[in-house]
Amino acid sequence: MSLHTLSSTAKRSYWLGRYLERAEGTARLVAENGSLLMDLPKRLPLGWQPLVNITGSDTLFDELYSEPTERNVVRFIINERRNPASLSNSLNWARENARTLRGIIPRQAVEYIIELHLYAREHLSEPLSRSRRMEGLSNVPEFVQRIDGFMSANMLHDAHWNFWRLGNFIERADMTSRIIDVGADNLLQPAVELEPFADVQWRSVLRSLNANQSYTSVVQEPIQQSSVLEFLINNAALPRSLTYSLNSLRNCLRSLPRNERVLRALNRLRRYIAQVDPTTLEGEALRTFLDDFQLQLAGVHEQVNKSYFDFKPGRRQKTGDAS
Amino acid sequence: MSIEWKDYSATELWDELITPKGRARKGAGNLCRVLARLSDDELVARKAAAELAIRSMGITFTVYTGEGSGSIDREWPFDIIPRLLLKREWDQISAGLKQRVRALNRFIDDVYHEQRAFKDDLLPRAYIEKSREFRAECVGIDPPHGVWSHVCGSDLVRDADGQMYVLEDNLRVPSGVSYMLENREVMKRVFPELFEDYVIHPVDEYPAQLAACLRSLSPVKSPQIAVLTPGIFNSAYFEHAYLANAMAAQLVEGSDLVVGRDDCVYMRTIDGLVKVDVVYRRIDDLFLDPEVFNEDSILGVPGMMRAWRAGNVALANAPGCGVADDKVIYTYVPDIIRYYLGEEPILPNVPSYRCVDKEQRDYVLDNLDKMVVKPANESGGYGMLIGPKASRAERNKFARLIRANPRNYMAQPMLMLSTAPTLIDEHAEPRHLDLRPFILSGKNNYVTTGGLTRVAMRKGSIVVNSSQGGGSKDTWVVDLE
Repeated sequence: MSLHTLSSTAKRSYWLGRYLERAEGTARLVAENGSLLMDLPKRLPLGWQPLVNITGSDTLFDELYSEPTERNVVRFIINERRNPASLSNSLNWARENARTLRGIIPRQAVEYIIELHLYAREHLSEPLSRSRRMEGLSNVPEFVQRIDGFMSANMLHDAHWNFWRLGNFIERADMTSRIIDVGADNLLQPAVELEPFADVQWRSVLRSLNANQSYTSVVQEPIQQSSVLEFLINNAALPRSLTYSLNSLRNCLRSLPRNERVLRALNRLRRYIAQVDPTTLEGEALRTFLDDFQLQLAGVHEQVNKSYFDFKPGRRQKTGDAS
Repeated sequence: MSIEWKDYSATELWDELITPKGRARKGAGNLCRVLARLSDDELVARKAAAELAIRSMGITFTVYTGEGSGSIDREWPFDIIPRLLLKREWDQISAGLKQRVRALNRFIDDVYHEQRAFKDDLLPRAYIEKSREFRAECVGIDPPHGVWSHVCGSDLVRDADGQMYVLEDNLRVPSGVSYMLENREVMKRVFPELFEDYVIHPVDEYPAQLAACLRSLSPVKSPQIAVLTPGIFNSAYFEHAYLANAMAAQLVEGSDLVVGRDDCVYMRTIDGLVKVDVVYRRIDDLFLDPEVFNEDSILGVPGMMRAWRAGNVALANAPGCGVADDKVIYTYVPDIIRYYLGEEPILPNVPSYRCVDKEQRDYVLDNLDKMVVKPANESGGYGMLIGPKASRAERNKFARLIRANPRNYMAQPMLMLSTAPTLIDEHAEPRHLDLRPFILSGKNNYVTTGGLTRVAMRKGSIVVNSSQGGGSKDTWVVDLE
């Protein structure tokens, strides 16, 4: 008799990985947008709307709020209960998943996740002044990295671990592509006035991925769109690049059973980004590339779901019964 | 010197460690001497060490804090002074428990088959048919070895005269065994020196015995065992996870299991569906299978009963076994033992009155202020009347309840539960306690060495349930020979 990994606990590990990564990415994004706006002249047509766009929740936002003011957007992204992707919802779900994974993930990690949830409730709740917000947001990634550290150092690197990493990297790839999207979104606006500030914006994109220092040391040339894109898409050593995330997904999947379908979808996506030439990704082409990427990534998620979590029990399956 | 045994007021009741004259009972001398040697500071330090161990081992139980507000995990309340039982007495108790559970299993099997007990007028058929725990769906089913209650937790109490009585048998889903195991671990950390002075019988073989018992229920050579829990919000979730872990069995919830068209039980895993041969279910019968019982149950598994009836999965404990876990049926256990085994009961029942019998009911109603009245099918100390402590209004309420539904009540004289020294603010004070040993029945029988001693931490209280302010002690079965 040997222990099997239940679909239900694998699924919760996976979603725990996603929610925590999402919380971290969201916190970085909001903090960085605030800081970007401080660097830009007030007369520019930039604002908070792009944050709503990249989370793909424009429709919901428009239903709930009349104007994309700073206050509305920040509330929507951080605290809005009705926004399933809000930071507070991500942390709620992370906590629920962690609590039901006791015995599978290290206790200290569970405690930190609960603490992070409490921290956010205390420090990121309304009313939220700008300074309070900046401080609160900057601590979220710190918490997540500490949790990550506990998991990495103390958790059995078994199937549950692989699902947690799978969740991390799928969400990370998604987040990186969306953050690139913000940069692109802003630049697509037909405002000639924005041109001189393009590098400010790409620097901001790098900062929100914590990648500005790495960029400087790797690329060694002034910031420009095509080299930033190449760095963020193709650099295999940058932990938040698309290539790095997809390679990590592949490594996790290789240690899991029944991985054929997921790997097929993943490898298709890996080939797709390997053959793209970043210098050609201008304007609409970049937009199309990012849309395709996100669509195919959703396809990988769908395959993970179908292969491991929500498969139909109707068919008689050959099982890995070790008894 | 903080524990002065001569100041210990071992009242008129039976105390497990100290005689009425303030002397240590047989076997307890070393323990009492070691405890008396500890200074206030040392006692406090040991107590703190025990609490730290409990926290760091994550020994918790869940308490419901009320509707809507959910539940909280509390650390297990533990007293560092152990309870001592002599091996010779324990052997006798253990034999009595085996006898009892053997007879009860025969009785349950009879209820779901020929019903000889009714034909021979051992007890009225109506008792069973009106029992909330009788499951018509189980009639005619033959569980392996004829055993229905594989894990039983019987509660023992000692009266003022030193006699041990069986207070009740928990035949359905008794809990507490993990605390028995953890209490010993805590004790070893906190009082290692005591283990040098005594031959204390170990308790840690229980998980292996449980696994062997569960394995014996399946014809498969190396069966896949799953522990079925209602989930993390159940008060005993800690124990479910603990036992699954200790047996290297799979901890599952209802939604992890599925019954196939072949009437076999499978669990959903990342490897696909994996067949499950034995389910140690820690959820109530009525939630087990929404196809058969409570159709709203989301804890259970549709088709589970089908699979069980077809013999494709073993369920421990078997559905329907609660029919003997009824406080009115309890009053018949001595007769049940004589009837099925042809033996005299080794362990006595607490003398009990059946309210359904007019004469006995009248006696109970006339003496409510001296009685403990229990409903037939409640557990956890709920829904009962402790006559001597109740108000007149409460007694009147129970008199009405008994008259309205006499079948549902039995009564016992208020027992003078024994006490044991318990550390309260650096002093040893007597607190009431009981003992829950666990009896395993499969192909073979097994009784835990000792069991879980539960203590009512409040002065004078006799309610030992953890949900109502009870704590626990390590229980030593000590060999003096």
